[in-house]
Amino acid sequence: MNLKKRERNLAYKLMAPAMIVLLIVALYPLGHVFYTSFTDRVFAGARDAEFVGLENYHRLLAMTVEELPPVIDDDTGEQQIDDDTGEPVYERPIRVLPRDPHAYRELTTFSLFGNRYVLGARTPNFIRAIGNTLYFTIVSVFLETVLGLIIALVVNSEFKGRGLMRATMLVPWAVITVVSARMWEWMFASTRAGFFNMLLDRMSLIDRAIPFLTFRPMQIPAMIAIDVWKTTPFMALLILAGLQMIPQELYEAARVDGASKIRRFFSITLPLLKPSIAVALVFRTLDALRVFDLFQVLLSRSRYSMASFNYYELVANRNMGLSSATGVIIFIIIFIFAIMYMQMLGVED
Amino acid sequence: MVNFNERPLKSALFLLMLAVIIVYLLFPFYWAINSSLKSESQLFMTPATMIPRDPVTLEFRPYFDNYIHIFQSGQFVRGLRNSVIVATLATLLALSVGTFAAFALGKLRFRGKTASLYVILAMTMFPQVTILAGLYAIITRLPLGTVPGMIFSYLIFTLPFTTWVMTSFFKDLPIEIMQSAQVDGATPFQTFYKILLPLTAPALVTCGLLAFIQAWNEYIFALTFTSIDPGARTVPVAIALFTGEAAMQEPMGETLAAAVVVTIPVVLLVLIFQNRIVEGLTAGAVKG
Repeated sequence: MNLKKRERNLAYKLMAPAMIVLLIVALYPLGHVFYTSFTDRVFAGARDAEFVGLENYHRLLAMTVEELPPVIDDDTGEQQIDDDTGEPVYERPIRVLPRDPHAYRELTTFSLFGNRYVLGARTPNFIRAIGNTLYFTIVSVFLETVLGLIIALVVNSEFKGRGLMRATMLVPWAVITVVSARMWEWMFASTRAGFFNMLLDRMSLIDRAIPFLTFRPMQIPAMIAIDVWKTTPFMALLILAGLQMIPQELYEAARVDGASKIRRFFSITLPLLKPSIAVALVFRTLDALRVFDLFQVLLSRSRYSMASFNYYELVANRNMGLSSATGVIIFIIIFIFAIMYMQMLGVED
Repeated sequence: MVNFNERPLKSALFLLMLAVIIVYLLFPFYWAINSSLKSESQLFMTPATMIPRDPVTLEFRPYFDNYIHIFQSGQFVRGLRNSVIVATLATLLALSVGTFAAFALGKLRFRGKTASLYVILAMTMFPQVTILAGLYAIITRLPLGTVPGMIFSYLIFTLPFTTWVMTSFFKDLPIEIMQSAQVDGATPFQTFYKILLPLTAPALVTCGLLAFIQAWNEYIFALTFTSIDPGARTVPVAIALFTGEAAMQEPMGETLAAAVVVTIPVVLLVLIFQNRIVEGLTAGAVKG
């Protein structure tokens, strides 16, 4: 056998165990999930699963818009006005939304061109889960990038104790996500025994304690706050690594040419940082889209992320078919984001 | 170097900024320690106190029973034991299988190499939640036991990660080392085993540490797979589901004591290996 052939054979032998493992832990379950998503399989169910086509996907994603007719007052023949609010009264969404062959439930109502409409979905919780996850992802990744950039720029200047600073940055990253969720849960406690309510009260900003984790408008921002705390340092470290690869001579040359500090930042630092930021962004976005720990621990079933919806559908409702379809949809959404990023930022290899 | 004497105002601002960042990063952890040293009545004092104080006299009085309780309760100790077993074995398995593959990908020439690299890279970004239902079905059907099932399923994220990072380390090793070994009559495997492996030992430590932390952190698989086997719960699951002796009240003090106990060793490890970790993280990400 010649050397080249021997090398190739060795390579295949070395690769084989890894490929076999990946086949069993990733490819096979992926195929299983894809297949199950077209069936009505129930976990530990007695009867055989049947092929249901796209029913699971339809159930998760089907939405409809219906016009809400105004409620006409029998006496005046005009639209009723609510006595308390002074708003015109429309038909209740539940009476307008289709019930056959599938029941739709209200997601939200809105007005357009003087008419009132209701947006209904077969599984409003999943549509909301997608919305919650996107909201969480976009805001948290944005904040993490901006804060990470600031921290990286601060830590990049030379000062005594820089090593210590960098070590400190690793602390939030090293905390288990579930643990950080419980730590913040206590800081968000709904009385002044919680840190934030105590602080806001001390600063006389609130009259009454805010129940951050049960008050709907505050729920997602609370999740974002925890995630930003935990992952900004990671972002900063990645950006810092990029900063340190920028040759100092460029700054020297720019200074000689009389470029201002701000000019140097926008003409040298930012463009040269673009690849590092891009990679960090991709990693963080793909990670944030599958957020599970924070939502499951702190909000359980009061508000879902895509992943926690999947989990409850599987473990609590034992609905394997629907859960599998959820998994496939998450996969597709993350895939779309990955492609979009590659296109937008021109990241190659 | 920032000169603190030349521009006093500027350096004061800089120091202030540093201080804000440090407080922001460390405060939640301080608050957890502070609260874990409070008894039930101290925890629910309003307004909350910055250090554990006696509810009546307001003197400094830390309370250590939370720490004693968690070590007496079976669920936490069992969780620690399960986590150590699962994370260690998942890491060792990934390192051994991954290093072989990484050597091939980093240093050998063979057909299908680029494709394999792409597969590994794609796998590092693979959303684990997608296959939750599939893995659950497999693990409950195989007579494997929950703990081995978890170890095996954790390979889905530890293996692509270690392979990818180790590949980049192997690639960076100068080819001359291999060539001179070949000239001396060493087979490629001998080159790998006797020369390259010792050289990559530091990389293995870094990579292993990062994989270990990922496995130590893992929650969704552990929660799902142990839903029918509470004895196999790992630390994150135990802490998420912490219940006290009294069913009515959530034992926040004990939960936070557990949080502090599991965080300190990892933080120490991370601080000891900080340079290596930063290197490993950037190798895993920037080069990916």
